[in-house]
Amino acid sequence: MSLEMRMERRLPATPEQVFDAYTDAEKQKVWFSILDEEPGIVEIEVDLRVGGKQTAVWGPSPDALFRETQTFLEIDRPHRLVTESTGVSPDGMTMTTRIEISFEAAGDGTLMTVVQSGFPAPEIRDFFVAEVWAGALARIEAFVLREHADA
Amino acid sequence: MVNHMVQQAVLDRVFAALSDPTRRGILVRLGQSPATVGELAEPTGMTLTGMKKHVQVLEDAGLVVTEKVGRSRQCRLSAAPLDEAMAWIGFYQRLWARRLDGLDAYFTLNPDPKGPAT
Repeated sequence: MSLEMRMERRLPATPEQVFDAYTDAEKQKVWFSILDEEPGIVEIEVDLRVGGKQTAVWGPSPDALFRETQTFLEIDRPHRLVTESTGVSPDGMTMTTRIEISFEAAGDGTLMTVVQSGFPAPEIRDFFVAEVWAGALARIEAFVLREHADA
Repeated sequence: MVNHMVQQAVLDRVFAALSDPTRRGILVRLGQSPATVGELAEPTGMTLTGMKKHVQVLEDAGLVVTEKVGRSRQCRLSAAPLDEAMAWIGFYQRLWARRLDGLDAYFTLNPDPKGPAT
């Protein structure tokens, strides 16, 4: 049994356009903040090659910055992108996960699907769900629980 | 890096704590209601000292918190090890919503088939 977070969105552009906008540093700075009502801090650097890194730093103020470093594991333009992501919160906590993104042509647009996996403690969660707090985690609706055959 | 190592050490302690069937039994028992060390020991036939050692391992892992009540020690479950993972997942949910909303707005506001100018 493993724990994933999955999100998908249909976007009004071709897979190539979406892939390029998603991976280009200058374009990222534009779309990442496009809906912000107040200007914040956004710094993005991208070295788009297998083994290369993308570093993003953002937040409302210098003392409340998140940092995310993604290392590219698979690059298959414009279909698929796989990275290992390490996030660092303003209080210094870190979390390393795996991000798989697919870009599929859908009608005249693109279906972009994000699957982020590897959040720690699934075994702990399984134990609590199965034996201690059955149903206690149901409130988190966006999770997709995948069960192995032997789970 | 240091924080990552601290976090890994915490998880190592959690997994070690959960590796023992007696300690898993304690957590199941505490899932019903808080209990004293004596109440935990009684149905197992274990000595108070033996039970205290197991409770200490669970407490070190953050899975159980204890509190001195009169002459006995009250034990109850703690969700701290789960809370951390949940907080991160909530954070990433918001981050991806922002990214996808931003991309959507970017293409909606710039419907040039060659891609928006930057």
